[in-house]
Amino acid sequence: MSEFAAELVGVSKRFGPVLANDGIDLAVARGEVHAVVGENGAGKSTLMSILYGLHRPDAGHILRSGTQIRLRSPADAIRHGLGMVHQRFRLFPGLTVADNIVIGAEPVTGARLDRAAAHRSVTDLSDRYGLRVDPAALVGTLPVGVRQRVEILRALYRHAEVLILDEPTAVLTPGEADRLFEVLRTVAAGGVAILLVTHKLTEVLAAGDRVTVLRQGRVTGRFTTADTTADDLVHAMVGRSLPTPVPRRATPDAAPALDVRDLTVRDADGVTRLSSVSFSVRPGEIVGLAGVAGSGQRELIDTITGLRDGGDRVLLDGTPIHPGRDPRVAYVPEDRHARGTAPQMSLAENLLMGEQRTLATRSGLPRAAVRERARDLVARFSISAASVDVPISALSGGNAQKAVLARELSRGSRVIVAEEPTQGVDVAVRSRVHALLIEARDQGAAVLVQSSELAELRELADRVLVLFEGRLVAEFGGDATEAQLGQAMTGVSA
Amino acid sequence: MKVLSPSVVAVAGALALTTLVMLAVGVDPALAYPALVRGAVADGNLEYTIAAFVPTLGMALAFALPLRAGEFNLGGDGQLAAGGITAAAFALLVPLPPVLAVVVPLAAGTLAGGLVAALAAPLSTRLRIPAIVSTLLISAPAVSLASYLARFPLAEQGTGIAQTPRLPEHAHLPALTEAGYVTIGLPLIVLLTGLWLYADSRTVLGYEIRATGQNREFAWYGGVRVNRVAAYALAGGGGVAGLVGGLIVLGPPYRFVDGALTAPGYTFTAVAAVLLASARPVVVPVAVALLTFLQVGGQGMEREAGVPSQLTQIVQGLIIVIVAVLATVRARRGARA
Ligand SMILES: Nc1ncnc2c1ncn2[C@@H]1O[C@H](COP(=O)(O)OP(=O)(O)OP(=O)(O)O)[C@@H](O)[C@H]1O
Ligand SMILES: [Mg+2]
Repeated sequence: MSEFAAELVGVSKRFGPVLANDGIDLAVARGEVHAVVGENGAGKSTLMSILYGLHRPDAGHILRSGTQIRLRSPADAIRHGLGMVHQRFRLFPGLTVADNIVIGAEPVTGARLDRAAAHRSVTDLSDRYGLRVDPAALVGTLPVGVRQRVEILRALYRHAEVLILDEPTAVLTPGEADRLFEVLRTVAAGGVAILLVTHKLTEVLAAGDRVTVLRQGRVTGRFTTADTTADDLVHAMVGRSLPTPVPRRATPDAAPALDVRDLTVRDADGVTRLSSVSFSVRPGEIVGLAGVAGSGQRELIDTITGLRDGGDRVLLDGTPIHPGRDPRVAYVPEDRHARGTAPQMSLAENLLMGEQRTLATRSGLPRAAVRERARDLVARFSISAASVDVPISALSGGNAQKAVLARELSRGSRVIVAEEPTQGVDVAVRSRVHALLIEARDQGAAVLVQSSELAELRELADRVLVLFEGRLVAEFGGDATEAQLGQAMTGVSA
Repeated sequence: MKVLSPSVVAVAGALALTTLVMLAVGVDPALAYPALVRGAVADGNLEYTIAAFVPTLGMALAFALPLRAGEFNLGGDGQLAAGGITAAAFALLVPLPPVLAVVVPLAAGTLAGGLVAALAAPLSTRLRIPAIVSTLLISAPAVSLASYLARFPLAEQGTGIAQTPRLPEHAHLPALTEAGYVTIGLPLIVLLTGLWLYADSRTVLGYEIRATGQNREFAWYGGVRVNRVAAYALAGGGGVAGLVGGLIVLGPPYRFVDGALTAPGYTFTAVAAVLLASARPVVVPVAVALLTFLQVGGQGMEREAGVPSQLTQIVQGLIIVIVAVLATVRARRGARA
């Protein structure tokens, strides 16, 4: 028997003009955490999808424990002991944890679902791997990190011996991410082979055993993490080193561009989501917003952008926010699928949103102008796409994110609000995004950045505000340590 | 071509299956199909086919326009009846000079249809009743109301038939053919279709309607007033349905006959045609033409070859089933990680 749990041999896959995978060899051993990194559009998701039976390769084949297998669908993959944790979870929110885990392979007595047996096997599994979950909890009520654990348990329940995770930490807070890696180590120690796609190189070095780097569909580097640095990886990914971050500047003295005054928000059930929040952002500064998920960030940002009522407490250059999306505020939302894009519409039409009235002439909305603008943005923000007419869902995750940024940053707005601006983008794009935000700041924009990645806030922000249970509990200079921030986020006063 | 293919596959598949059914029940396809074609286009039947094409195309717009905004307008019958009876009332009760005698009833019918459809908008934004349900719920009382008006206040006295009196001469639609079945309704609806296609693909409102239909939260986030846009789309669709009602009433036999607007099933055929066009607006008129052809031709086939005209309804049903299956298969394949 082969030492490798799974091997991809000479795998190629073409989408129209794009050669997404070009003769890739990749082998993952039992008990190993194998990281796969690479720029946006390098072909990582495509390769993982091939291994999980979602795409069929044009050339090459797959070995499972040394034997060639053919995968026509995810069902085939599951039967061969492959499991995948999707970034957009495929769970039923109205069912319990146990039901979600056993679905499709339910223990039955006669024709009836044996709930007790289901609970028992879930408890067994979660004990064995140290994945704490309550089998009776409804999935819809659980935080993202726990839902992800349910996905992992579901794969393990079906005896997955190869576990694929595509950007699992993009949706997690730093604490949740740390816990995930502990879990992955335990699972790997039990003999499971783990493939981990991520853009966060610190994670790769901390949690991985070996790394494969992809670039433009090919393997450009294989490393063992023990004797590799982040810079080596970056070099293999983008072919050069990255510029060092721009030094921070002193906060200017100008009058605030964005001024939030004593903002209190209650939700439809009367629960207070924000209480007496006051702060301001001056032109030419970047203010970071930290806090565990659900501390009121959603309500705060929706009010600032005009999407939620209450804008009279928010002043933009001294005048209240216009209700229903104020055009003076550029806004990069966190949920790209639900809010930031219409996945089935073309790239050009996605880039158009918000500018449709400025491009309109008396005879309507000329398609040539719409395309023209899109091509211009594609070039300026180096978005890679087959054409501006493809649906935006055909772009790689990072390129779709760049498209959202391009649309919002190109408006020259006074205030820029960005939620998780670098989620799912590669290191090169990340530094490019940071440079863009800094450039906007230097041109006098007031920038508010919300991020669950504390390292990002420390790199970018001139000041960091911390939200906890709807209140602003702390403010730090840009030189705060992650420990200080982390402590404030949990409500422990400094 | 690639995007057209689901529709083509569906039609071809349905015809193949129908042929099998014909063989199974002992009908000779070599007799039936020519009879079908003759029934639709030969011996002066073309005029009937066109006369049926116009309201069906109008009702297809009434369904397709709100559908672009993500709203299912299943209340076409109610909007049609409301438009028809309103147009009849204006033509009968308001004395008007020649041209206005046509224009005013049609405009009033359009408005009535639009209002009936727009009722669904607050129900969906305030009470969260989806348009697919509310339009259907409002449809039945609207049809009944029109029927009541035609039987009592507006009824033709002394005949005992549920219909209004014949409309005054001025209010008759100018005819384009000898028999008078093809009226200026044809160019009017074709023009409207063209306007819709243009607006859909190259105006701001068209873009905002499509964005709302594709992802409501995205459109809302982008500053589109999604509730208003959806309401406009519903009202617009209802307006076209009301106009179709007016066109039918102002055409032969120049009166509102109770049930005559809804009985031919324009609404359902139109829904089927729009689904067949599978989200490709320019294909809608083609799909309408095809289904109208099948329906009118089916009656000819019944007369000539003794094949029950229900067979063409089977074809229509099969087309829809195949379209749905193809759409599901594609959605499954398209689901990416
Ligand atoms: N279904 C598809 N249709 C057309 N092109 C596709 C499709 N899926 C992927 N591509 C293209 O293939 C290339 C590789 O995409 P892939 O999603 O594998 O990249 P990735 O490495 O996962 O990137 P990211 O880090 O941004 O998620 C990209 O250029 C992408 O546009
Ligand atoms: Mg990817």
